[in-house]
This record gives sequence, C-alpha cells and structure tokens, in this order.
Amino acid sequence: MSLNPAIETAPPAAPIKARLGGWGTGLMLLAVWLLLIAATSLYRPDFFSHQTMLAVTFTMAVVGVLAIGQGIVAMSGGFIDLSQPANMILASLVAVRLSEAGMPLAVVIVGAILAGMLWGAFNAAIIVFAKLNPVIVTLATNFIGLAALFLVFQLAEVPIGSEIYHFGRASFLGLPAIFWPMLALVLVVGFLVPRTRYGRRMIAVGGNRAAAKARGISLKATRFATFMAAGGFVGFAAVLFAATAGPFNPGSANTLQLNIIAGVILAGISLAGGRGNFWMLLLSVGFLSTIPTSLVFFGLSSDTQSIFQGFILVIAVAIDGWRARRATP
Amino acid sequence: MTDVTAAPARGPGLSEDWRAALTGSVASITLTFIVVVAIGWFWVGPKFLSFGNISIIGTFVIVPLIVGAFAGFALLSGVVDLSIGSMVGFSSALFALLLSLGWDPASAGAVTLLACLCFGGINAIAIVGFGAEPIAATLGMLVALRGIAWVLLGSQGSIFAFNLDMFNLVSMTVGGLPLFFLLAIALTLVAALVVTKTRVGRHIRAVGGDDKAAARAGISVKKVRVAALLLSAFGAGLGGIVYAAQLGSAARATGFGLEFQVYAALMIGGYSILRGGVGNPIGGALGLLAVAGVSNILDLKAISPYFVNIIVGLLLLAAVLLDRIRGGDAYE
Repeated sequence: MSLNPAIETAPPAAPIKARLGGWGTGLMLLAVWLLLIAATSLYRPDFFSHQTMLAVTFTMAVVGVLAIGQGIVAMSGGFIDLSQPANMILASLVAVRLSEAGMPLAVVIVGAILAGMLWGAFNAAIIVFAKLNPVIVTLATNFIGLAALFLVFQLAEVPIGSEIYHFGRASFLGLPAIFWPMLALVLVVGFLVPRTRYGRRMIAVGGNRAAAKARGISLKATRFATFMAAGGFVGFAAVLFAATAGPFNPGSANTLQLNIIAGVILAGISLAGGRGNFWMLLLSVGFLSTIPTSLVFFGLSSDTQSIFQGFILVIAVAIDGWRARRATP
Repeated sequence: MTDVTAAPARGPGLSEDWRAALTGSVASITLTFIVVVAIGWFWVGPKFLSFGNISIIGTFVIVPLIVGAFAGFALLSGVVDLSIGSMVGFSSALFALLLSLGWDPASAGAVTLLACLCFGGINAIAIVGFGAEPIAATLGMLVALRGIAWVLLGSQGSIFAFNLDMFNLVSMTVGGLPLFFLLAIALTLVAALVVTKTRVGRHIRAVGGDDKAAARAGISVKKVRVAALLLSAFGAGLGGIVYAAQLGSAARATGFGLEFQVYAALMIGGYSILRGGVGNPIGGALGLLAVAGVSNILDLKAISPYFVNIIVGLLLLAAVLLDRIRGGDAYE
C-alpha cells in the first residue's frame, strides 16, 4: 500500500525541487479560487465586499495554522496527524484555564504552545519507541484524548473581557487580528523549510528515509522534532480558536480536521512525504475558506458545504495520486 | 496469516497450522474476548450472560457486524474505506426518504443499495483509477456523503419512516436471540469461508499482501480492489437499511463516527488499515463483540461511556503493537 514506507521509491527530495515544484499547483489553485470569486460575484455582486473579506480571513486563521502543523507531519513522512482535534482542544483548555487565572496573553500563548508540543512529544514517543505507524497511533491517541477531555470538562470559554478575549475580537489593518499571525507563520515557515538545515533534513526524511538515514540523519530525532513542532503549531492555533470560538466542548474541533487535510493536499504537500511548498497553503486554505461564504451567497444551505468540500478533497487526492504515479514509474 | 478455520488434519502441515492458530491474530482476539466475557461474568454477575443481556448486545452489534464483514474485504485487499460511516447514514436517509414517499421496502432498498454502489464506484475510480491515497480519498467521500445525507434529511434533521412489517422482521427472535444477530454471525462465517477457502479469497489476500507479486501471478489487482471497494459500500448500504428498519427513522446522527468504531474494533480483531492481507472476518467479529461487551459492562456498572473510547484506544495500540511484533511492518 502506498502509505507504507516508500523506501525504494522517490529519490532524495532536492531542496531546489521543493522550492520550485509548487508553482504549477499555485497557479492552478489561484485560478480555481478566482473562478469561485468571479462566479459568486457575478451571481451576487454584493459578494465582493469587505464583509466577505472579513469572513474569509477569519476562517483562514485557525485552519491555516493547523495546516502548517499537518503539512510538517506530511512532509516529514508522518502521513497524517489524526489527533489534531484532541491536541487543539487540550491546548485551548490550557489557554482558557491560564486566562481564567488572570495570566497575561504572552503566558497564555506560551502555555498553549507548550501543551501542544507536549502532546506532539507524546505521539512521537509512541511512534518512535513502539515503531508504530503515525496514522494508527494518532487515531488511537485522538480517541483516548477526546474521551479523557470529555471526562475533564463539558464546556469551556475564555473569560469575557480578558486579554485573549479582546485579541479574538480585535482587527488590524481592516482584517481580523487573528489573521496576521497565521499569515506571518505561513510565510516564515515556507521561507525557512527549504533554506535551513533542519527543514532540509525534514524533507529528506520524508522523501526517502533509508537514504536520509544513510546520510547520518537521525530518524528518531527528526520524528520527535517534527511532531513536537507540529504540536506547537496546533497549540498556537488553539489560542486563535479559544480567542474566537466562544463556548466550546471537546468535540468542537472535529469538523476542522477534513478541511485541514484537504488544504494540505490541495497545496501540493504530498501525503507520501518529501514534497510541497508551505506558501501554497495560503491559496488552498484561502480557496477552501471562501467556499462556505460563497455558498451562503448562492443561497445554499450550510449542509451543501460538506458535499463540496468532500468532493473537492476526493478530486485533489486523485490528482495527487496521479502526479505521484507519474513521478515514480 | 493463518486462522482457526484453517484445515487442521493434513499430514506434516498439522503442527505449523496449530502453532500459527495459537499465536496468530485470531488467537489473541479470542483471548481478549474471553477476558472481556470473564470480567463481565465476575463483575456484573451471571446476568451478563443471560439471554436478555446477550440480546441487548446482539441488537446493538447487528449493523457493525454487517458493515465490518464487508469492509473487511477492502482492508484485506489493501485499501481502507473510511466512508462507510457516512455511507450508513446516507443509506438510512435515502431509504427512509423513499419509504416516506410511499415506495415499497423492496424497491426502496434496491435503489438505496444501487446509489451506495455508485458512490463506492467513485471511491474505486479515485483510488484504483487515479492512485489516490485511500485514507484521504474516502475521508473526502465521508464528508461529501454526510452532506448529502443531511440535505436528504432536510431542515427537520430526521425522517420518520416506520414500517411495522420491517420492524417485526428485524426484531424477530429465534431461540431467544435476535434473528438478525444470528444472520450477521452467519454472514461473518460465510465471509470467513470465502476468505480462507476459496480462490477469490486467496486472490484478495494476495493482492493485499503484495500487489506486485499478485500482479506477476496473473491476478488483476485493479479488479480485486474495485470489487472490494464496491463490497464495502454495499455492506454499509445494507447496514443503513437495517438501521432505518430498526429505528423506524433516519436522523443526522445515524452512522456518525461509525467508521472509527468499526475500524478500531476490526484492528483489535487482527485486521490492519495500513497493510492488506492480514485479518480474518471471525477475528473482526470477535473484535466488534469484545468492544460491545466492554461498553455493555460499563453501561451495566453505570460508568461513563467515555471510558469505552479510552479502553478501545488502548486496546487498539496494543493490537497494532502485537501485529508489529508478529511480523507487521515496523515504522521508522
């Protein structure tokens, strides 16, 4: 099966390829996105408004940061992290409890990120020491984590009037304040991954772990680093989530999962590992976040949203599979 | 991969067969199952094994058993179909909708199953035709079908479609146990026979175990996987129809999250969602029964149902670890 370690396939991913490989995907994504915007605007000219911009960028924030985490896991050959919902709710709970204790926003953010990294380390420990596949490990830890969280709390909310509460409602340069950190993180991660030693190691392990090991890269250390980094991004996404979600329960993050995986795959970050460009996440997440608003303008119920998003993912994965098949004859 | 149903008495193969049967995945799930039954018996008391209680567990696992028996074929052939949970929801919604429009159950059932096969066909085109990653592609189908089911259910969020004849049929008991539970067990046994004793079963396992070797041996990998994905969709469709008949209605929650419940139990029972060729319908059914037993025990002891998920998660990790120690792929 294609999810199994692709030892004999794919040459070590060249950083050059990782830098340039995504632009075709980018143009296609941009075209589809613009098409959606144009179609909706033609049908309802009032779609093209500041209100729509606010709605789209607001949705992009949490999804975008989670997609960075998912992208790191996928690119390093960890396939998918199915435990993001449990991780984000855990970190959100930490953020809520810290802000209830009257901590400043900086402490809340650091606390949530640490909680996320701790969860990532927990996943990595099971994956590395038991040598089990991340998909099953994160499936199980998500099961266990969500159930445990339900035992701990039923409903939580950041205190009204706290710093994080105001952060969630603030705007900056005409867009929601939570949008800007997401934009900055995607740009920085996309810039650093192909240009730093750590980033290139991650790509190398994801592309061909046997070759990476032969070059002296520690697979265990890379695995820990990638899952902890990915967990840290989930922790930060939790801050944005807790700041804006209002009252949430342990099941509140479940519906995000698919959009994030779709965003990562549409961005050309292959689930097979070693391939992709993080900057493309801005286009794919932007496109996916425009769909709900667009459907509302077309007068379709919110249930149809799942139909579109679901089939878009099926098509995206089919294209990804087609590309991978052509790349490895 | 050997199993308890493997022919025992045949010359020198005998001892290996028995050794494999004692150390294989069916042996460990049988042990787990016995432990669950023993805990239930000692902790809850003889009431746990009463006909009344077994009927409650049995009624509860009918649909998972049917869905699991068919989905197992997809797992065996090396493709996982995550869309089964929503497929159950979609099937029950469409079936209930057709009944509420005055269709007779037989033609409503036929159309529903046909629709499920069409969506299974889309899965097959994406996965087999284009080489899409099965987990991600069927995750997309999961969400799409959930949307379609919810649109079918309308703003009410549920459709009432009670049919007395059908309800009587699915609630019928034979010898103190629900008829459909016994039928689901029979289906499991037939599936086990197909998997272990027939040429088709050998082909499916060969494709799942090593598709390149299977292709060299002249087996059409594509045909087997398309058939397996269609079977999986068919089983889920059947499950949805049985749900609608049992409940007399379809609702948004029908089938929600069922895929994770079923696959966790199947993996505890010896299947793998990442590698084909391993697992056996009997092991899968025992996995489903063990999980149902655990949740029944917690229910009778008035313990929070969330502990079921914690126990299932831990059992799942233990089962995959055992599978790896037995020779499954180690992940580095």
